[in-house]
Amino acid sequence: MPNVKITINGKEVEVAQGSTIIQAYKASGVDICHYCWHPGLSVAGVCRLCMVQVEGMPKLQIACNTEVKDGMVVNNTSPVVKDTVRWGLDFHLINHPLDCPICDQAGECGLQDQYMQFGQYDPEMAEPKVKKAKVVDLGPTVVLDSERCILCSRCVRFTDEVSKTNELGIFNRGDRSEIGTVQGKPLDNNYSLNTVDICPVGALTSKDFRFRQRVWYLKEADSICPGCSTGCNVKVHYNEEGVWRVKPRLNPEVNGHWMCDVGRNTYKYVNLKFRLLSGKIGRRDQWNEVDVPDAARSAGLKLRDTVKASGADSVAVVITGQYSNEEYKDLLKFVADDLKIKNIFHWVNNPEKMKEFDGLLFRGDRNPNTKGLEAALAPYPPGKWENLQAGLSGRKFKAVVVFGPEDPAVFPDLKEKVTMLSQTENLFWFGAPLNPHVDQSGTETWQIPLKTYIEKSGSFTNFQGKVQPFKAGTTIVPQALTISEAVELLAGRDLNWALRPQPKGGPKVNYAINQRGAL
Amino acid sequence: METKLLSEHYHKPEFRGLEGYKKNGGYEVLAKALKMQPSAIIDEVKASGLRGRGGAGFPTGMKWSFLPKNDEPRYLLCNADEGEPGTFKDRVMMEKAPHQLIEGMIISGFAINSKKSYIYVRGEYEYSYRVLRTAIDEAYKAGYLGKNILGSGFDHDMDVYSGAGAYICGEETGMISSLEGLKGQPKLKPPFPAVQGYLRKPTIVNNVETLAAVKYIIRDGAAAYRKYGTEKSAGTKLFSVSGNVVKPGTYEVPLALPLKDLIFNVCGGLKPGRKLKAVIPGGSSAPILNAEESMRATMDYENLAQLGSMLGSGAVIVIDDSNCMVDMLNVIMHFYAHESCGQCTPCREGTGWLSKIVHDISHGKGKPSDIDLVKKISEQMMGKTICALSDAAAMPAISFVTKFRSEFEYFVREGKSQVTGSSAHA
Repeated sequence: MPNVKITINGKEVEVAQGSTIIQAYKASGVDICHYCWHPGLSVAGVCRLCMVQVEGMPKLQIACNTEVKDGMVVNNTSPVVKDTVRWGLDFHLINHPLDCPICDQAGECGLQDQYMQFGQYDPEMAEPKVKKAKVVDLGPTVVLDSERCILCSRCVRFTDEVSKTNELGIFNRGDRSEIGTVQGKPLDNNYSLNTVDICPVGALTSKDFRFRQRVWYLKEADSICPGCSTGCNVKVHYNEEGVWRVKPRLNPEVNGHWMCDVGRNTYKYVNLKFRLLSGKIGRRDQWNEVDVPDAARSAGLKLRDTVKASGADSVAVVITGQYSNEEYKDLLKFVADDLKIKNIFHWVNNPEKMKEFDGLLFRGDRNPNTKGLEAALAPYPPGKWENLQAGLSGRKFKAVVVFGPEDPAVFPDLKEKVTMLSQTENLFWFGAPLNPHVDQSGTETWQIPLKTYIEKSGSFTNFQGKVQPFKAGTTIVPQALTISEAVELLAGRDLNWALRPQPKGGPKVNYAINQRGAL
Repeated sequence: METKLLSEHYHKPEFRGLEGYKKNGGYEVLAKALKMQPSAIIDEVKASGLRGRGGAGFPTGMKWSFLPKNDEPRYLLCNADEGEPGTFKDRVMMEKAPHQLIEGMIISGFAINSKKSYIYVRGEYEYSYRVLRTAIDEAYKAGYLGKNILGSGFDHDMDVYSGAGAYICGEETGMISSLEGLKGQPKLKPPFPAVQGYLRKPTIVNNVETLAAVKYIIRDGAAAYRKYGTEKSAGTKLFSVSGNVVKPGTYEVPLALPLKDLIFNVCGGLKPGRKLKAVIPGGSSAPILNAEESMRATMDYENLAQLGSMLGSGAVIVIDDSNCMVDMLNVIMHFYAHESCGQCTPCREGTGWLSKIVHDISHGKGKPSDIDLVKKISEQMMGKTICALSDAAAMPAISFVTKFRSEFEYFVREGKSQVTGSSAHA
């Protein structure tokens, strides 16, 4: 597309032909007030706030539905536009309850932000407000407050155009209009919580998150969703108590503006309540808690002794697709290059579903880095799963090293695999979560806590082969290791502990974190 | 005064049926039109100066020429969702002369090369719907609709559709949404219906009276039609006159007739002892004229625009001195708050807000600041929305509180009407 030149608030900018004025404003970073327009949805043109003055046009135009033309001169700073926007905001607010102190959206609310930026008028509304339904249960994930709703129709367009589930509609007319579900059909799809994200006010709130935290107390870190092989770009919101929610981050090449509800749950298992907090050595009913570095060093000694005494072929290494490319590289260098172990196995958690895809974002391969593991294993051809089974039942393997699931819920075969893998003399189990199945191990077992995706930096390779880096946000289990760190200790080398982030005062136990929001 | 061009035979009950219609020259113009070039018909309509009779007054021939020049299927829709308060002329036309509309539509359909048309009838007009349904069946049986009409090779199908009683479905894109089975809400423009309308195909929407008038333009020629009215307001127009006149009703008169003549000659004047206070000349959304303005108004597009009002649908509401303007505005504001579709924020919230304020004033609970607030709100509702309903609510509000400000001030001050001495609350 060729570019056209237009003038925005006195500044000449170049934009692609065929774009709208609002896109030109956004592209050139000039502020413009709007609610109903969303870059991932069709144009509704109903909030009437993106009004601009176009030279040569008698009436103000909405920027979202007006195409740019070469030489166009546009502004949203003239007194008449400013007045229109102020009144437009007042029209939005006259029936809005202004219950910000108890509203979950406060702090990230379009009405609050834009009132401060474009509003700041003396309200003249003295009539009783329209009463509408509150605490409407729309479905398993979302609650509606119709009085807060400004009827921008983003959520309706989302269910029509993106999820294509068509649950939502606007019912009634005039200032009695309300969002609702069609014939009582609940808003129940794997993308439902996107409606909460795009709701510019506190009308749609997430049952999972509402009333949990004031958003201005949360910090955010850019990350990659580990929920499946799509690798949606996300923002993780956390504070000292743990992680509270995951929201999508724009990446047109991977997930656009959206992510699925399953991915949003990936914040839960990273929190303290579900985590292995220290090293454990022993077996069923006879566990000793050990400092993580000591546990890892002891595991390293035993592992290297086994290789020395019974040969590298007496050790098996089992790896899941849940870890970063950098960790795979360090791990394979140690076990395959240094220890010469050849029995390396790729644990595929749900082989029959690996190729499934819902057509939008969610994939049956529930590992963030299957592609990365396959690539890392290319120089070290992994063994066949039957050989592992045969080797275990034939007592060939004296030691098994497992890098298990980060999210146990996506490993339906976990119990069965733990039983199978514990048919060895020494089991070295690395993983982030508490693992009741490993706790039942009847053989000598080392449990060593690993970090989760939010606590480490690295990269995942998604289903497209796209390498997506992510950065450490917060630390939840201070003693937990990355695989790279674990490898250092297993090899008998020392770790530079000073390099690791230590949380101030240590995290508090958060009792609320996995209780679902009540209505 | 009265000039019966379209309504020449309306007094004959037989004109409603096909036989009676044919006896009075029915479908002769269709036979003539089908022998013409479609472009010649469009040229004739353009030359006649015919303007849309539904409210906006857009030149009909020009509207037709916005259609793309290709063979893409296109639709002709007849807007019979006559909802503007005070308007009832389309109903008279449909019930007294359904074939006149059908003939006008087939001619228009032929001109714009449309093979399918719909008549969208207001939900409350159940009887009109039944009359049209019968007439369409008759026309099919007689070969005026269907395949190869009168051996011309032109095919045209017609159907009639009943709305569900929403004012907003009289707005052309609201009507298209409703006809498509969607919620009756106006669509964002561009694209305009002539480019992308019903089912995303090029679509022309014309009023009942407009389409019926096409027949007479083709029968007599543009020059003959132009003998009535003025340069910019050509032809005759059916006015729905209601309110405080002796003989309310539907009257066909040439455009540019002085309003004074319409009230005092055609409609028999006011009731004895009453004085003219105001006139709404074009339906409830048209700004009101006070008595002095009414006396010098002529009923055409340009003169009423000069007076700051509009011809609209030709619904003349005559108001004598027994009426309280505050009460009247309360009724009008309630209507628009009830009928706003709720899409655009200024209209959705503004109509409701205005209605509440005017309701308070008319119930003796107004504040002095309310009168200016009504004006300020209305001004911010003008020209800010997808369709004209917001303007339609704002225009009467502004004109009422400006031209009859003292009545509003009295009501606020005294808590009761200057005219009736009571408040709606009492």
